[in-house]
Amino acid sequence: MNAIIVSALLGVVMMFSGIVLKNKSLLKYVATGGLLILILANLMQTYGWYTVNVNSHDLLRFSKFGLFFNTIAFAATFLYLILSGKDIEHTGIYPAEYFALIFFVLCGVSIMSSFNGLLMLFLGIEIMSIPLYILTGADKKNLKSNEASLKYFLMGAFSTGIMLLGITLIYGATGSFLLGAQSAINSAAASGAPPRASYLQIAGIILLFVSMSFKVSAAPFHFWTPDVYDGAPSVFTSFMATVVKAAGFFAFIRLFEGQTEILGPTWKILISFVIIATLLVGNITAVFQQSVKRMLAYSSIAQAGFMLFAIYSANDLAKEGILLYATAYSLATIGVFAVLIKMKDYTLDGFNGLAKTEPVLALTTTICLLSLSGIPLTAGFFAKYYMLASMVKAGGAVWLVIVAVIFAAVSVYYYFRVIQSMYFKDGVAETSEITGGFKIGLIFVAALIVLFGLLPSLLLNYFYF
Amino acid sequence: MNTTEILFFFLSAVAIFCACMVLISKNPVHSVLWLVGTFFAISGHYILLNAQFLAIVNIIVYAGAIMVLFLFVIMLMNLNQQNEPQKGFWMKLAGVISGGCFMMVLISLVRQAADLNNKTAMTTDGDIGLIKNLGKVLFSDYVVPFEITSVLFLSAMVGAIVMGKKD
Repeated sequence: MNAIIVSALLGVVMMFSGIVLKNKSLLKYVATGGLLILILANLMQTYGWYTVNVNSHDLLRFSKFGLFFNTIAFAATFLYLILSGKDIEHTGIYPAEYFALIFFVLCGVSIMSSFNGLLMLFLGIEIMSIPLYILTGADKKNLKSNEASLKYFLMGAFSTGIMLLGITLIYGATGSFLLGAQSAINSAAASGAPPRASYLQIAGIILLFVSMSFKVSAAPFHFWTPDVYDGAPSVFTSFMATVVKAAGFFAFIRLFEGQTEILGPTWKILISFVIIATLLVGNITAVFQQSVKRMLAYSSIAQAGFMLFAIYSANDLAKEGILLYATAYSLATIGVFAVLIKMKDYTLDGFNGLAKTEPVLALTTTICLLSLSGIPLTAGFFAKYYMLASMVKAGGAVWLVIVAVIFAAVSVYYYFRVIQSMYFKDGVAETSEITGGFKIGLIFVAALIVLFGLLPSLLLNYFYF
Repeated sequence: MNTTEILFFFLSAVAIFCACMVLISKNPVHSVLWLVGTFFAISGHYILLNAQFLAIVNIIVYAGAIMVLFLFVIMLMNLNQQNEPQKGFWMKLAGVISGGCFMMVLISLVRQAADLNNKTAMTTDGDIGLIKNLGKVLFSDYVVPFEITSVLFLSAMVGAIVMGKKD
């Protein structure tokens, strides 16, 4: 409860600091300080030092797993603000409101990491989505940003409608919003009788699956992703593609942990289809992109395909893996986007010769891209390894693992094209002004990626304390 | 057939007819007006279920406030011309097939679901939709979601101001 309350309050604080502070460049320091408080509040609950207790009638349930995810999401946002905080100020004319909206998104994230009732899931997703629609359209003068915002809003509203229909059907079958509630026809049946499938519940779960797949941009519900990620201001794309997406996956895995038995073997066919489609669409389309920003949008679809493995296997390794994947993917994407924002030209040619003009930027981008493609010694390798290992442990779908490895090899191609143009092509990459602090921040992110790549146990052992 | 059943079938027919007309009518203003009809029919269903409060709120909020807002937006943006671009044949066919499949699933769901066997609607003895019970549930079991909704509205308000304010 700490994180939910503190993040909502910090959102209000940011709104007021927009009025009080005349110097707009101070805002990002207030936001960064606020995030530190938020992380502290969340750690206080994790270790049981001090917790605000509210009787939520079991609609919220705080587990170590969820609280630990909160810490990861907040820490990623912290790094994001350090690297890109200055660019948020330059995006529009309401920086205080943008920071406030980011805190509201974090409130939604912390609800989604600890919901136990479908009602809270719905609220969490909405609190997370509505600020994003606005952040997508933050660049009001840019027609592409406007289009992206409207498209995201309309598609998001449809997916919310589908989710509500699903929740309604489940509520109709079970009479409860709580996760894992049994259908009335099963709880009324005599003990020992074989459980009967409740069609209402099954249909509801499938509708929930559709809308959650939309939120995490899994194919065939991904059509909004490239346009929205490309149209939104790059600073906010970075936030959307990392923290928010990881939170979507976390809610997804929490939601489907106990539900898969209800669906029976059909479930495996359904999710295998979605995984293959996501990997195929994401990887193959990314190969043909000329704009690095659009390529990253497709690559985020491809990465979603890997994260979906955690929902397929749903065992201990998958739970550890999704935390590691969220960390590795968020770190790398925040790093790449922080560099991308500084570039004048977003196409591949715009990166030509970056290694000569800005060697530090080129090196850190390379490390981030290597992590995204899953090369050993980076965090991305272990993230992918855990995902595939969880699949092998779950058993029965080795062919899916082989397909995933092939697509991981495909992904190396388009990530390396960026590295190639930075190091092996001639040209003068134009960047906006790079400060020393920004470079130090990037080096810190790259160091973290390598550190988790060498010792993933640092992160995972911490999870068990 | 008693009065309640006759009313139920009448209201259902009205609701479905109005909903179809929302989709069919070319003029957006007509669509919105048919939608108001749908909301009234659904409010009638609520009254049949002895949920007077929900019925009134449905009329005031949806048929009243939101639909008037819709009409204003459509008239202000001058959308009431019939200049909607025509979709291609294959697009329409794909829409009909996928929508039809979904409708078939939902209809067979209601017909076959074991959860709904031998269940009757609480037409006279149901009291969930009364304001007293609704208020009690809202402020006891569902007080946390109720309070957290305020964050949602706050962020929506901030967004409306950020989006709507003149630069």
